[in-house]
Amino acid sequence: MKKNRKLILTAILAVLMTMLWGCGGEGGSQDETDGYVYVPEYVQMDVDCTYINSVTSLGDSVIMNAIKWDEESQESSNFLYRYDLAKGEGETIPLAVGEDDNIGAMTAGADGSLAMVVNSYTYETDENGEPTNYKSSITLWSVSAEDGSIKSQKDINEVFGNSQDGGTYVQNFCVDGQGNFYLDDGNNTIYVLDQDMNKICEIKADNWIRSMAASKEGDVYISTYGENGLEMRKVDIAAKKLGEPQTGLASGYGNQDFITGSTKSFLMDNRSQVSLYDLSTQTEEALFSWLDVDINSDNVSQRGELSDGRVWALTRDYGSEGADGPEFELILLSRKEASQVPQKEKIVYGAMWVDSNVKKAIIDFNKTSDKYRITVKEYGEAVEDYQAAQTQFNADLTTADCPDIIGLNSLDYHLYASKGVLEDLYPYMEKSGINKADYLENILGAYESDGKLYGLIPAFYVSTTMAKASQVGDKTGWTLSEMLEFAEGREENLFAYGSRSSIFYYCIYNNIDEFIDWESGKCFFDSEDFIKTLEFAAKYPEEYDYQADREEGISSRIRSDKVLLLDSSISSVQEFQMLTGMFGEKVSFLGYPNSERKGNLVQATGGCMGLSSKSKHKEGAWEFMQRLLSEEYQDSMLSEHGNSFGFPVKKSALEKQFELDMTPDYFEDEDGNKTENAKTSWGWDDFQMDIMAATQEEVDAVRSLIESAEKVSGSVDEQLVNIITEESEPFFKGQKSAADVAGIIQNRIQIYVNENS
Amino acid sequence: MHFPGKFPGKGKKVRLSSKEAGTKLRRLAPRSEKSAGSSPGTRRGRLVSAGYLFPSALGVLLFFVLPFMIVIFYSVVDNPISRQFVFLDNFVSVFNNSAFRQAAGNTMTFSLVAVPLAVVLSLMLAMLLESKIPFRSQFRTFFLSPMMVPIASVVLIWQVLFHYNGMMNEVLAFFGRDRVDWLNSSFAQVVIVVLFLWKNLGYNMILFMSALSSIPKDILEVAVLESATPFQIFWHIKLRYMSSTILFVTIMSLINSFKVFREIYLLKGDYPYDTMYMLQHFMNNTFSRLDYQKMSAAAIMMAIVMVLIIGALFLTENYFGKDVEG
Repeated sequence: MKKNRKLILTAILAVLMTMLWGCGGEGGSQDETDGYVYVPEYVQMDVDCTYINSVTSLGDSVIMNAIKWDEESQESSNFLYRYDLAKGEGETIPLAVGEDDNIGAMTAGADGSLAMVVNSYTYETDENGEPTNYKSSITLWSVSAEDGSIKSQKDINEVFGNSQDGGTYVQNFCVDGQGNFYLDDGNNTIYVLDQDMNKICEIKADNWIRSMAASKEGDVYISTYGENGLEMRKVDIAAKKLGEPQTGLASGYGNQDFITGSTKSFLMDNRSQVSLYDLSTQTEEALFSWLDVDINSDNVSQRGELSDGRVWALTRDYGSEGADGPEFELILLSRKEASQVPQKEKIVYGAMWVDSNVKKAIIDFNKTSDKYRITVKEYGEAVEDYQAAQTQFNADLTTADCPDIIGLNSLDYHLYASKGVLEDLYPYMEKSGINKADYLENILGAYESDGKLYGLIPAFYVSTTMAKASQVGDKTGWTLSEMLEFAEGREENLFAYGSRSSIFYYCIYNNIDEFIDWESGKCFFDSEDFIKTLEFAAKYPEEYDYQADREEGISSRIRSDKVLLLDSSISSVQEFQMLTGMFGEKVSFLGYPNSERKGNLVQATGGCMGLSSKSKHKEGAWEFMQRLLSEEYQDSMLSEHGNSFGFPVKKSALEKQFELDMTPDYFEDEDGNKTENAKTSWGWDDFQMDIMAATQEEVDAVRSLIESAEKVSGSVDEQLVNIITEESEPFFKGQKSAADVAGIIQNRIQIYVNENS
Repeated sequence: MHFPGKFPGKGKKVRLSSKEAGTKLRRLAPRSEKSAGSSPGTRRGRLVSAGYLFPSALGVLLFFVLPFMIVIFYSVVDNPISRQFVFLDNFVSVFNNSAFRQAAGNTMTFSLVAVPLAVVLSLMLAMLLESKIPFRSQFRTFFLSPMMVPIASVVLIWQVLFHYNGMMNEVLAFFGRDRVDWLNSSFAQVVIVVLFLWKNLGYNMILFMSALSSIPKDILEVAVLESATPFQIFWHIKLRYMSSTILFVTIMSLINSFKVFREIYLLKGDYPYDTMYMLQHFMNNTFSRLDYQKMSAAAIMMAIVMVLIIGALFLTENYFGKDVEG
């Protein structure tokens, strides 16, 4: 009996321990659904085009309306490209489209032909040879998918009446099982035409129509945003109204597209997950996530389902847009048993939300790594309770479910570092032969804690405050007292967009070290400076009215001293040129108020991540992370005409970017004379500026601005923000004095400080 | 816990050793195979019993024993990630933490004030409603009504009453007094004590009324015939017969006094004014900041104090109530 008891007790303990510690995911190539995975296969298309306009599927073929721009003749040609995915064959089909015609929408017809909405533009030429008197018309075409010949066409301008000024634009277009045409004009109205292109009826929707498609069964459905999120409703032409919303669909206000299905009614795509929806059972079946099949959902321009259940996707890589135009890829996704797919070590990237650049880097890594595969766990995605998701994220960090790589975007990395959640990355860099001195040490230093690096960023921008040197002097920083002294009597003309909360962010949250001394465990929210800040904030509205008409634009206000401080971020030399151009005179970069006068702040762009100290796959996780620091990756962020990636953290890449910024662009006229051309054009509000090659002085100014940034922007705990916002309210309403509310804030925040000291 | 008259006299009990008990059961069991097989004393019977007990045992292990073991584990490691054994360092660190001390002091003060008040006032109310006063039934319902109000509504009511622009300050203004920032001053704990009493008096009162009605009428009649004064009847008879109920109400009030965190949290969030900052705040906040070791150490210290207090209460009840227990 004693033995039995021991056995029972051991069994119970074993069950409990299993439940307690959970089990970490090991192996696997991607997230499985019922033991199956989708595997991408890249189709070689031999289409020679500059741009793919419209795409539709017809049976197992993908048909594209392609456009080729001829540099020599300065003319474009319009044709169809049909790729049969079942046979693996592609063919080019000529299409008789005029120079002034544009195929606005294309879809497969019920009879195997193609239906097209063609917009035609005509204009006259005035005495100066300039085009004038524009006219647009809209025509419906039925085109043979075999040879591109036009089977029938009809001018349908009258169908729309006067629904739109200046020409009609068809937003959504499809054909039902009976061959009726459905056109949505973007103004909540669906126009239905019969097979002979005669109007049957028009049906009004209550809200904006997001998308419209025919189901596999031949009925047409639309999606609109209703009270409970996105709703799918049938277009009932017999009753001339919309049907009741379909059930069984994922709720929310996300970007859900639906496309005619082959095995089920619709193929659904919410830009993250792809699924099938069955109208008869009103159920949705998940297929795969775009990330799991190594596809960046931002690049997917069209997708569809083949009769055998395979899914195709046409992607356009915006990042690779070069002289030959963007790169298009046709990808076929087949369902395979998970055991048939090569197994790789699974690494989890967990974050509240994942930066699009990080997603792209993960996809590139997964495509090229034979050993590792990164899966993404986005805790904050499509959740109603973000706070609960944050709690779950924190809880996971302490368990076996801990992600291997932790996305630190907008999170307090100091907190995670102090709890031992993150690994020090310097030893990893050293082991990998990555020299710390090759990187901007002040930027790395901003993500340090006690000399250890806990956050890795591939790129950044600098947040600062700009002011005319003639107003503030040749300063590179200021304290809160100095800033408040400067603001005295100038409140109305201080900021471009001032509100109480923006003042708090400006003076307090980005300067929190002035009010909390963690070493002594004291806070100073009852100080003179804090009380003055409250009084200063009280002179601003609760919220800035962006809708209010202003006589002058921002640049004009800056130049006429109606805006003295410009709170902005600088992510490229071109942005620096534009911002300084707005002032029209010498500018000082003061940054945010800071007790050490070091108020220029670093903000990560392109992701910020840490390596989990609990990870069982540190080697694989670091292999991905170190790629972001590699010369190849850092150089991939360079841009000849300025970019939106921010500054690279690698010194050599930054210098290459500066070189590019200083290299002039030339335009050679007919006589062979070279004239400097604008590299790009930047603008803000009333200000437009052609950006020429940067001067050495401008690059030096940007370099010194970057070198002055030593702290990270916006990592203040939301708890502090809530306390200050809540308790300052009675002061703004005139119920309490600034000193009284400062005392209460001090009392409440002191508990916070005591707790964490 | 003992209730008067619940158990038979001590002389009737027969204590047997486990070996003897087993022998006796075996002797008493019928000799048929089937019955013998399912008897609790047999191997099969023990297995059947174990099978029936397994779900409960698993539940107790899963929901009580295991979490407590985890709390003990976290209290002796440096943090939930690296889990290095540090023995009592967390207890020392938490004990020296000024926020913890503040929370412990506030919680103790609150419990010391609110619990006796909740017991004494509810007992007085029960005595009052036991006497033949008009509208007894209506009063009883009135005092029970706070139990039916959802906690979010309670907080709303309290905000209306004690907000800086609330009803209480309107009343003070009517009498020409300055407004008081009830929830952001040393008055905050007074507000919480009043809220606690408002919420709990009715329930305690019902328990006391029930205990009062179960006192044997013949003893009370004898006391009256013996010319005992009402105070003597209350002190020597009623109070003694109610000792177990008083203990129960005190323990329940003590437990409820720790639950007042809910109301404070809804009123002022994670970091209230310092006089309202309770131990539960400390534990919740340390949990959300991944300081599981601090939270666990604080929880264990609080549990030890609770065990000591409840133990002391049991000893007191045993001392005062022993002569009325059958």
